[in-house]
Amino acid sequence: MKSISLYVDKNSVFHNLHSFTKLFYLLTMILVPAIAGNIWGFAAAAAFSFLMLIICGLLKKAMPFLIFTITIVLIIFIVQGLTYPGNESVMFSLGKVEFYKEGIMYALRIGLNFWNILFAFALLILTTKPKDMVEDCEQIGLSPRFGYIIASVFQIIPQMTGTMSTITDAQRSRGMETEGKLLTRAKAFIPLMAPVVMSSLINTKERAMALEIRGFNADIKKTYLYTRKLKTSDKVCLFLMGLSILSSIAFRVVKWLILK
Amino acid sequence: MKKNLFKTKFNTAVIVLIPVCIGINFLGKFIAAQLKLPLWLDCIGTCIGAVLGGPVIGAICGAVNNLVYTITTGDVQSWPYFLTSIGIGLTVGIMARLGNMEKFGKALVTAFVVVVVAVAISTPINVILWGGTTGVVFGDAVFTFLREKGVGLWLASLCDEALIDLIDKFLTIVITFFIVKALPKTITSVYSVGDEIKNL
Amino acid sequence: MAYIEVKGLKYQYPATETMALKGLDFSIEKGEFIGVTGENNSGKSTLCQAFVGLVPNFYRGAYGGSITIGGLDIAKASNAEICTTVGLVFQNPYNQFSGAADTVFDEIAFGLQNIGIEKQEMIRRVNEAMEMLDITAYSDRNPFDLSGGQQQRVAIAGILAMKPQVLVLDEPTSQLDPQGSEEVFKAIDTMTQAGITIIIAEHKIEKIAEFADKILLLKDGLVADFDTPEKVFSRNDIVSYGIDPPVYTSAAEKLDKRKPESGLYPVTLSDAAKCIGTDIPRVVLKKRDEYPIEPTFDVSDITFSYDGRKNIIEHLSLKLDSRPTAIIGQNGAGKTTLVKLLKGLLKPTQGSITLAGEDVVGQTVASLSSKIGYVFQNPNDQVFKNNVMDEVMFGPMNIGFTKEEARERSMEALSEVQLEWAKDINPYDLGLSDRKLVAIASVLAMDTDIVIFDEPTIAQDRKGKARIAEVINKLEARGKGVIGILHDMDFVAQCFDRVIIMAQGTILADDEVHRVFTYVPALDKAKLEPPHIAKLMNAIGSSQIALSVDEIEKKATAGADR
Ligand SMILES: Nc1ncnc2c1ncn2[C@@H]1O[C@H](COP(=O)(O)OP(=O)(O)OP(=O)(O)O)[C@@H](O)[C@H]1O
Ligand SMILES: Nc1ncnc2c1ncn2[C@@H]1O[C@H](COP(=O)(O)OP(=O)(O)OP(=O)(O)O)[C@@H](O)[C@H]1O
Ligand SMILES: [Mg+2]
Ligand SMILES: [Mg+2]
Repeated sequence: MKSISLYVDKNSVFHNLHSFTKLFYLLTMILVPAIAGNIWGFAAAAAFSFLMLIICGLLKKAMPFLIFTITIVLIIFIVQGLTYPGNESVMFSLGKVEFYKEGIMYALRIGLNFWNILFAFALLILTTKPKDMVEDCEQIGLSPRFGYIIASVFQIIPQMTGTMSTITDAQRSRGMETEGKLLTRAKAFIPLMAPVVMSSLINTKERAMALEIRGFNADIKKTYLYTRKLKTSDKVCLFLMGLSILSSIAFRVVKWLILK
Repeated sequence: MKKNLFKTKFNTAVIVLIPVCIGINFLGKFIAAQLKLPLWLDCIGTCIGAVLGGPVIGAICGAVNNLVYTITTGDVQSWPYFLTSIGIGLTVGIMARLGNMEKFGKALVTAFVVVVVAVAISTPINVILWGGTTGVVFGDAVFTFLREKGVGLWLASLCDEALIDLIDKFLTIVITFFIVKALPKTITSVYSVGDEIKNL
Repeated sequence: MAYIEVKGLKYQYPATETMALKGLDFSIEKGEFIGVTGENNSGKSTLCQAFVGLVPNFYRGAYGGSITIGGLDIAKASNAEICTTVGLVFQNPYNQFSGAADTVFDEIAFGLQNIGIEKQEMIRRVNEAMEMLDITAYSDRNPFDLSGGQQQRVAIAGILAMKPQVLVLDEPTSQLDPQGSEEVFKAIDTMTQAGITIIIAEHKIEKIAEFADKILLLKDGLVADFDTPEKVFSRNDIVSYGIDPPVYTSAAEKLDKRKPESGLYPVTLSDAAKCIGTDIPRVVLKKRDEYPIEPTFDVSDITFSYDGRKNIIEHLSLKLDSRPTAIIGQNGAGKTTLVKLLKGLLKPTQGSITLAGEDVVGQTVASLSSKIGYVFQNPNDQVFKNNVMDEVMFGPMNIGFTKEEARERSMEALSEVQLEWAKDINPYDLGLSDRKLVAIASVLAMDTDIVIFDEPTIAQDRKGKARIAEVINKLEARGKGVIGILHDMDFVAQCFDRVIIMAQGTILADDEVHRVFTYVPALDKAKLEPPHIAKLMNAIGSSQIALSVDEIEKKATAGADR
């Protein structure tokens, strides 16, 4: 069964951190540059996460993240370069179209921040099993029911795709064609989709009963097979990240005082 | 009636239904892509969840769907469309509770309302994120055509989105309607609200 | 007051007209082993679900009477109270998984986490349960990637690990290989010594006759009898309840051997052997109908793997012919995989498969569909239309029949499995046994040259098995090739001429049905057992084996000789 999660099974600095540390990393990377409010902050943060991706050997796996965003960042550059309200000084022009410095700087800021968040997010997603994160969250109070929903999505989608290929087999073995003209293909949508949908929906009944029997609804305090404790490395990281948030606040306050 | 509109049971059956609905969304998208159909068909599950579990469940299906989609594809900037998904889930759920998914004709009315809601939420997102385009070929062709004819950004984007949604959401609701109709009684009775155990 | 009291238990599913349970009264003592039996739709599964409160709390519907277990009123008890007291293993293994665990180990631990078992104890119990069911080797596998029988073992382990006081099992061994199901029965039998009460719904009569203290015989939602196996199975009207007596009982009856103490017929192997003693019966082999034999598949040196690492089928060569051929073997041996390869659903990584000279590997499944029919192990993988008639017509319409022709063929196919009455019903409103018959009919309607049945007898009672046997005989008579995968050796002996024993992706033995069951080492290696009657013949030291009760005869007595 092919997993749908982007998790990369590997051993790296980030893999060895607790999921909370990684979540807090994402938060820190969003907060610190935003509080510091300096364009170099965004650049440094983005560069740092990018470096981490390289160190953890995840650059290739992070590509889909990057590709998705190239167009949007381009659009931001064009739109803001042309139409940013504060535009005054022309930076360069392509034929008749003039791009303004203020707009480009603004776009750069948004673009860098966008990538910053994206890389930090990629680090989290590529190095954490969804199931582990859900379990960790459950252990500090996330409702196990909600946890189940998330954890089971990752298990059920591959199972459904598996069922679908079985059913596609069954339909093909009863003579159905899935290739040809648009109409033939459109007609195949229902016999392919309906059985998986029907059988999955029908299976929900039995699965729900199975869960009930196995104590899913029992109001007993749940225990966990896997308990991941914060290691020293996690604590050090958390401490450093907390420190960087505080120093970004201090930086902002000092800047503000100086300006005043 | 009013009181029942948003009534939601969070029993095991409903909890189990949500992941399956999200799976159905994924499959719809997947099969449409496999068969190279020029449509999304990616919220059939949300609609089924909404019809069976009510508007709240529909909304949850929609929101979690986009969350999971982002996590599993890395497509970060499409997450704002979770608002659209929630809107669709809520609308279908409410329409179904009002009895608008029982007959084919009424389902078409539901489909129309869903289109309106989807367009109303998606267009601003399109404009803000994509400068108004939708990423579906024939919709964007209309967009470019209209823009060249001098039509305003918002209106052109609205037409683009509405055109696609019109076909996509109508098909989605029609498929949902037939699937729910075809479900055996043994399943639908599990999700019906308000049934109590009778004494023999 | 007895430990379990069932009083006036009535139940009607929602949106149905008749009651599934119509007033049941009985009581069970702590530590008893109860076998529940009766024909399809007699209410066994409904009763099983009532013991854990799913009936009525999950389904709702209409409920009357009560079940109390150790003073706990099940219909009113909380989920926490119920699932620490009673455990239930379902009839269909496929949907019993939580869907949130990605390894077998985590899957078994799922229930333990919910009921708050402490971590070390949890690990201990999971390991213990895995050992008991012989699944330790799959500990890290994804439960959804296992074979049917392996999944059933995981499902049982998941409940056993929760250590309930009362264990209810609904046909828990339907897909297990014979030795595997014997092991499961032995394991739960030892649990009764620890005071655990066992309630098991089963069509495997010989098994419950051997292990159960008492048999609860159901018919139409009512208790027809509740007594010791000997009393229940020696009733002379037992067949009218839709079940066959144990083979041992029929044999003893035919030989007119009763237990001296009670004057009843024996119901277990050891008792039957004791009663027969040295009076070994004569074996008169029944001549089977003979039809011309034509070659079908020619499999030459194929290898297959799902993941590119472990080969499931390894260098397998095989020539099949039109004789009804059974493929038997232990769970996970690769039986389903082999027939999927034959059908073209999977492609071998190496080797070739031809059918009547034509290459199978290169053809699309759709183009093979008019030649080879395949009934899936799990009917839910196959059935999708919202009424039975459309479902059965789907195949014939796809291979180019007109609507009228398709309808005609479908009616014929439905009548062969005696399901005409169900043609307008949603297949999912039918029970598992009937749904499996719908799947069979939908393949029969395509009138293919070859029909492959993957475990057709799952969940079938006596009548259902007889219908399937008849279908197979008719196919044989019409010169169609029949291939069946089975765990029911009696059925193999009854319907098939040729038997192939598989283990770990290879063929251990391949011979005529009369000979194959004498290959003890091969049977053992493949976790199989001979048919019950052959076991009896072995036990009494007969040099010949018989394959059905019809094949044994009382030896002419000395007096009659003279
Ligand atoms: N979910 C359901 N909704 C409506 N009717 C049902 C449902 N489940 C079972 N029934 C009906 O209740 C009756 C008893 O069914 P049950 O499944 O208990 O029989 P069974 O003895 O277990 O049969 P089998 O040997 O096939 O397993 C049948 O008539 C069946 O059609
Ligand atoms: N989709 C799959 N992916 C990976 N491994 C699989 C898959 N299906 C089956 N297997 C493995 O292949 C082996 C053979 O499986 P198969 O289903 O052919 O067994 P079987 O002989 O039919 O067993 P059973 O009697 O239990 O149905 C098993 O070890 C099983 O775990
Ligand atoms: Mg049953
Ligand atoms: Mg199998």
